[in-house]
Amino acid sequence: MAHHLEASRNSCALHGALQLFEAIDGVVPVIHSTSGCGVQHYLGVTRLSGGNDTFGSPPVSSSNIKQKHVVFGGGSRLREQLKNTVKVVQGDLYAIVTGCSTEMVGDDIPAMAKEGRDQEWPVIYTNTPGFGGDVHHGYHLAVKALIEQLPDIVKSQEKIPSGLINIWGIIPNQDPFWRGNLQEVGRLLEGIGLVPNLLLGSGQNVASWQRVPGALLNLVISPWGEFPARLLEERYATPSITFEGVPVGTAASILLRRLTEQLELDPIRTEAFITREELRLNQQFARLVDTYYRAGFQREFALVGESAQVIGIGEFLVKSFGLLPRTLVITDNPSESIREALDSRLTTILPGYHTDVLFSEDKSEIADVVRAGEPGIILGSSLEHCLALELGVPFLALSFPLFDRIVLERAYAGYRGAAVLLEDLGSAMIAGSKYINEAS
Amino acid sequence: MSLKQGKHIAIYGKGGIGKSTTTSNISAALADAGYRVIQIGCDPKSDSTTILRGGNDLPTVLDTLREQSKVRLEDISAVGFGGVLCIEAGGPVPGVGCAGRGINAAVEQLQELHVFDEFKPDFVLYDVLGDVVCGGFAVPIRDGLADRAFVVTSSDFMSIFAANNLFKAVNKYAPSGGARLGGIIANSILAAYAPALIDDFAGKTGTHVIGYVPRSLVVAQSELYGKTVIEAAPQSEQAQVYRNLAKYIDENEESVIPKPLNSPELKKWAREWGDRIFEVETGVVHEMASI
Ligand SMILES: Nc1ncnc2c1ncn2[C@@H]1O[C@H](COP(=O)(O)OP(=O)(O)OP(=O)(O)O)[C@@H](O)[C@H]1O
Ligand code: SF4
Ligand code: SF4
Ligand SMILES: [Mg+2]
Repeated sequence: MAHHLEASRNSCALHGALQLFEAIDGVVPVIHSTSGCGVQHYLGVTRLSGGNDTFGSPPVSSSNIKQKHVVFGGGSRLREQLKNTVKVVQGDLYAIVTGCSTEMVGDDIPAMAKEGRDQEWPVIYTNTPGFGGDVHHGYHLAVKALIEQLPDIVKSQEKIPSGLINIWGIIPNQDPFWRGNLQEVGRLLEGIGLVPNLLLGSGQNVASWQRVPGALLNLVISPWGEFPARLLEERYATPSITFEGVPVGTAASILLRRLTEQLELDPIRTEAFITREELRLNQQFARLVDTYYRAGFQREFALVGESAQVIGIGEFLVKSFGLLPRTLVITDNPSESIREALDSRLTTILPGYHTDVLFSEDKSEIADVVRAGEPGIILGSSLEHCLALELGVPFLALSFPLFDRIVLERAYAGYRGAAVLLEDLGSAMIAGSKYINEAS
Repeated sequence: MSLKQGKHIAIYGKGGIGKSTTTSNISAALADAGYRVIQIGCDPKSDSTTILRGGNDLPTVLDTLREQSKVRLEDISAVGFGGVLCIEAGGPVPGVGCAGRGINAAVEQLQELHVFDEFKPDFVLYDVLGDVVCGGFAVPIRDGLADRAFVVTSSDFMSIFAANNLFKAVNKYAPSGGARLGGIIANSILAAYAPALIDDFAGKTGTHVIGYVPRSLVVAQSELYGKTVIEAAPQSEQAQVYRNLAKYIDENEESVIPKPLNSPELKKWAREWGDRIFEVETGVVHEMASI
């Protein structure tokens, strides 16, 4: 028999969908399920990702169905809830998301959404019972709902800017640094003359999503971005580029060169941008050299996170910062193909060095593997904090769930993110080290 | 729940096989014999007790859940023939909601109303809809609600199939305190081979048939009068058949955990019977002389 999973870091599909909708200005999610689903989203997700979202706390609208709605069907309760929500909360788009109970019973959600649309309310829906899949699946379902249903609801006359790039694969809160990371990826694209469509975060709204079909390219930066890209290729024949992992440091240069080549952009402009950015980052490195050696920064590390983080951050730490990847734990259950990227960019680049790789979301299994590797520093979720204390090694919390630090704008992506990562990592290493004693 | 009052019996069987008719006649016969009887229809169609109470409207238990009013037993029950207390669980209209959860909720509601403590029945009969399609419909045989389950079947394969499914459910729940199987009620017996076929199925599954109810016009006629056979034609042979069933249920406590056939076994068994019936109908003489 399979053993039980301890402290899973992958919430349910309903929550994944909520996280996406909550990250778009003007979208008002309406949960059609039992009351615990919304509460659990607050307790189990948004509180644990460095801060709360607008609706990521109790105020989210929910039909809070009771037994009688299970027995007789909850359609009328949803109808009422939708009506009340439209009355009370101003929004550009109302997004119905369903939970396990209403899906078990088979409430006719499309019909309810259509009723709303017949009243001229902009309503979309997605069926997201937790038993259908985890948070990543929920992200997929919500993106699909927007891509498929939005064009029929709100017509846009707006002219699409040329060089528009949709960015896919960053799941709000599941990556606690999603806001900052998206901003930085956007800045990179702007640096080579493209127009980023971040889609999520402040200032990103329903209009941003209306521009999706007109984009020049879909940029995929995690395995979870492949599905939207495929969907858009089928629907609008938009090409895509897949770059496994959040690009950190010089990985950004590789990404920008690939984009420049595929989209036939001006290479001179791209190189100028890259040179400027790399120069700045190198200057930061140079300022760190002394501390690097005196505090013994070069050591083996354990990194626990979603595949995009492990590949992006891990690669940077190894290639640019000279750390050794002792243990890598991937917690988001990506498809096997991610292994290839992991191997080519991380685990095989140090000849003769062995890296333990684990695909797991089980806290104790993760702890066992990390412990066995005897790392000199642990980077992971707040769930690994105690383990670091136990092993007496420095610790940096950077993956979900994150409940021992605040993240507002911070990013670990791009050139700037690389510098921020060095600040955080370096600070963690110095704290409590011999180095402090010597200095004081 | 307080100490259980009376014997609780659940009647299952394929849709339309005659559960409500049979159950109602058994209730009527038990009541006629002087027992206090409750019949609970566990079916959203809410037609289980119709022929016990002349077809009058009866608000269902779940109607009260929908309205969320405070209910009294009088509001959701009617006294039918021979003093049988008739209750319909009710449920959603077809195509929406969860009838299985409805049965659950209705039973909870009845327990809250202390129906059994107050009425002090000798017998409680649950008439449960159709096949056991999901956990919800198994409620009466789970949780020790009913002590015994009976299954109504004809000699049609589909109804045997449904009986076999019920056996699976009993088999699953009985070891942890769920109902055991009291036996099979063979209904609508018309063809000559039918009793032998049902007997054979009973033998294969470690169960037995407690009575054979012939297909009879009296049943149809009584139904048209809105009555049970016990009430409309008490002197008929058919009434005697139902009285015998009631007597069996009253006097016999015997119950078993059935051994359902798995699906290849069931298919093989059915094919063999297909061949036999063909031989019988075409006049081939066999050692199965009894049929
Ligand atoms: N032995 C019988 N002889 C003649 N007619 C019968 C007999 N048993 C049942 N019927 C008739 O078959 C029909 C269906 O019976 P009944 O309503 O009792 O079935 P049911 O199993 O309760 O159906 P459902 O699953 O729909 O609740 C009724 O019209 C009933 O009169
Ligand atoms: S798993 Fe189901 S019941 Fe639990 S929060 Fe998610 S949708 Fe709700
Ligand atoms: S199959 Fe059972 S559990 Fe599912 S909705 Fe129907 S009655 Fe309810
Ligand atoms: Mg019936």
